[in-house]
Order: sequence, then structure tokens, then C-alpha cells
Amino acid sequence: MTSPILRIEDVHKSYGALQVLKGVSLTVQPREVVVLVGPSGSGKSTLLRCINLLNPPTKGRIWLEDQEITAPGVNQDRVRQRIGMVFQEFNLFTHLTALGNVMIGLVKVRKMRKNEARDLAMFELERVGLADRAHYYPAQLSGGQKQRVAIARALGMDPHIMLFDEPTSALDPELTGEVLAVMQKLASEGMTMIVVSHEIGFARQVADRIVFMEGGVVVEEGTPQQMFEQPVHERTRAFLRNITR
Amino acid sequence: MELLQDLLTTFNFIVQGLWVTVSVTAVALTVGLAIGLVMAVARVYGHPALQLAASAYSVVVRAAPVIVIIFILFFVISRYVNLPPFWAGALALGFASGAYQTEIFRGALQAVQPGQMIAARAIGMSRLQAIQSIVLPQALRLALPAWGNEATLVLKDSTLVFAVGVPEVLRRAQQVSARTFEPFLAFGVALLLYLALTLITTQALRWLERRYRLQI
Ligand SMILES: Nc1ncnc2c1ncn2[C@@H]1O[C@H](COP(=O)(O)OP(=O)(O)OP(=O)(O)O)[C@@H](O)[C@H]1O
Ligand SMILES: [Mg+2]
Repeated sequence: MTSPILRIEDVHKSYGALQVLKGVSLTVQPREVVVLVGPSGSGKSTLLRCINLLNPPTKGRIWLEDQEITAPGVNQDRVRQRIGMVFQEFNLFTHLTALGNVMIGLVKVRKMRKNEARDLAMFELERVGLADRAHYYPAQLSGGQKQRVAIARALGMDPHIMLFDEPTSALDPELTGEVLAVMQKLASEGMTMIVVSHEIGFARQVADRIVFMEGGVVVEEGTPQQMFEQPVHERTRAFLRNITR
Repeated sequence: MELLQDLLTTFNFIVQGLWVTVSVTAVALTVGLAIGLVMAVARVYGHPALQLAASAYSVVVRAAPVIVIIFILFFVISRYVNLPPFWAGALALGFASGAYQTEIFRGALQAVQPGQMIAARAIGMSRLQAIQSIVLPQALRLALPAWGNEATLVLKDSTLVFAVGVPEVLRRAQQVSARTFEPFLAFGVALLLYLALTLITTQALRWLERRYRLQI
């Protein structure tokens, strides 16, 4: 077995007195696609934000490749550059075109020259099928297109792992397909991904592993087949039955 | 014919103050812009101590009548540093405008969706980079209408430097009026000049607003 790309060890996160994560441990292998499910408030988004240090854990340790990223003195901006993040509400930069959204990180963070950055940004937009929308502003794009630009923006940073927080939840049903297709393509290209999503079709087809969280802990994890067909825990069974219906 | 002659002489005299008025206003707006941006960023993103200092500045300066600030710079500060009336007046106006601009930019910074900062950090930008490249450009666009309003207010407040003897439009109008005993003509010309300046300013800003409208 190769060494894991991500190792989360006993991560806790509290907001004041509210304990949201109560000791989460999770290991992700390179090229693995992990789908994270669980009821609202179980701490899925919080866990993703702990992983990319947007909200560092209050206790516990996280390793990305060989580096412990929760260690003191770590350059967190550098770490975030290696972790792509896609948000439910897209969060595209409203004052920039689709191309500008992808370029800005290349120019400001990766310090690429404008010409180089433009070429790479166009390449990333092509990857998500939006080269023809390069000069549109976010307000001129559909939800599905916005989310694909957001994916291209994350890809531009050349991330080693991608986190998706309910990437299709804000979309009209007829637009989720185009986003899931892009994600599926990424997975097939070997991108390591953690996806918070209740898209059952995607989980069944694309996930290597499904992780079920509840109340700030991982209740159960397994292959889609195990999880859907013979979950060990009654809570897992009840939850998955509920969302597959 | 004589009236026309009077009008022309009056106009010719007063209009020489136009450049002074424009300069005082431009200096004040620029100084206020620099102060306002820095203070607003300090208010919204600064360390708590910085936040406190910035809001203290804003509260105190907005409580002070602008003319008092001008007098302080002209009569007090200029005792220690050589400050010609023009600079005392323009800097005082800028200092005052800075407080109002702080409030304008603070509101605009806070109106930018929090997700913008989060997304910027997520691609590896530092806080400062995110403020510079993502939040501020959007805040500036949001602030434009209120800033345009502030520009016209500062233009009118520029008449206050009259009190320390800067030969701007109003002071020149007053001089003509004292000489010719035709206050209506003198102040009428001054009024028209301010009207023209205000119109030009608002048109220019409206153009900027259209050019940089944020699509949301
Ligand atoms: N910044 C914050 N400050 C205080 N409490 C927070 C914060 N962020 C999240 N929480 C709380 O933490 C708990 C878990 O939130 P989280 O968003 O991680 O859940 P989730 O599993 O992603 O739920 P959902 O499916 O609704 O997105 C919730 O009770 C939420 O109110
Ligand atoms: Mg969530």
C-alpha cells in the first residue's frame, strides 16, 4: 500500500461551548474518492474547513502527504494552495470574468506571468467545458456553469487533493448533471477527492468509499456496496435508506 | 452693455479662483481617500486595538466642525511646521473627509459577501492578498455612489478655506463684491461656477459607476 495523501487523527473542533467535531479520524489514499454523508449539522462542512485550515481544529492532527499541517509554524497559505476547495454557493469572484477567476490565483499566488496564466486558465476552463464562456462574468453564467468555473479555479492551483462541499446542492436539478460529470472525469483522471454530497448516483458510481458522520464523529465507513447493502450500524442504515428514497 | 462689461470683469476675476477650488478639493479628496481606505481596512480587518483607534478617529473627526479642524491646522499646527494657508486648508478638509470616507468604505467592505474572502483564502491567498485583490476591488465599486456624494460635499466644503485667506472662488467673489457693491453678480457667478463643477464631478463619477458596475 502507498502512503496516504491525507491523514486526520482525532480531530476536534469547537465553537465556544459548542463541540462540533468530537474526534474524527480518517485516512485518504492517493486517487481515492471519498464521499462524506451525514445529517445536517453533523460537522461535514466543519471537517472540510479543518482540513484546509480555513478553520483549524481545536485539537488533533492532520497530515497532508508528509507534512503535518496542524503543526505550529506551518505556512497555512501554502497548504491551502495544495488543497482545492469547491463551495456549495460557488463563491466566484464577482468582479472578475470566468477567465479572471481562474487567472487571479495563478498570477497572485503562483506568481505566473500574465500570458502564461491566461493560457493555463484557458486550459482549465476547457477541462470543465467552458472555454466559450471565458469572458462572461459570474452573473452571466448559469449555476452549473458557475460551479464548473469554480472547479477550474481550484484546479488552476494544481491541488493534490480536492474538497467539495455539497457542490450541487444549490443547483436546479437539471444542472447537477454537468457538474457531477466534471467531477467524475476528475476522479477518472486520478484526482484525490473528498466530496460532501447526497447525490446517491454519484456516490454509488464514483466513490471508492463512503463515510457516514453523525454528531461530530465518523459512525461508519465502507465501500458503497457495503454501506448501501449491509451497513453495520442501524443509524447508517436509517440515514442511507432515507436519502436513497 | 455696462452690465455685460461688469459681468465679464467679475467673472474674469472670480474664475481665477477656480483652479484653487479644484486643487483644494482634489487634494482633500485624495488625502481623504488614502485615510479612508486605510482606516476602513483597519476597522474591518485590523487587530482590535487598530479597530478601536480607527473608530475613535472617525467619531472624533466627524463630531468636529470642519472649520474648527481648519483653524487647528492653520493657527496651531502651522506654528510648529511651515504650513501655507492652502495646505492647512486642504489637509484639514482631507482629514475631515477621511472620517466620512472611512465610514463609506467600511460599509462597502462589510457589504462584500464573506464567501469572497473565504474563496480567496482557499486558493492560497494571504489575508492581505485577499483584501487587495478580491475584497477591495469589489468594495470600491460598491462605494462609488456614496463616494461621489462625498466628492460633491467636499467641493462645497472647500469654500471653508476662505476663512484662512485662500483665494478660492468664494473668497474672490467676496472681494469683487466688496469692491463693486454688486453682491448679486459676484455671488451669482460663484454659484454658477460651483454648479458647473458639481455637474462635471457627478457626470464623471456616473461614468465611472457605469464602467465598473458590479454584476451580482
Ligand atoms: N463558524 C461557526 N460558528 C459557530 N458555529 C458553527 C460555525 N460553523 C458551523 N457551526 C455549527 O457547527 C455545527 C456543524 O455545522 P456544519 O456546517 O459542519 O454541519 P454540516 O454537516 O455541514 O451540515 P449541513 O449538511 O447542514 O451543511 C452546526 O451546529 C453549526 O451551527
Ligand atoms: Mg455543510
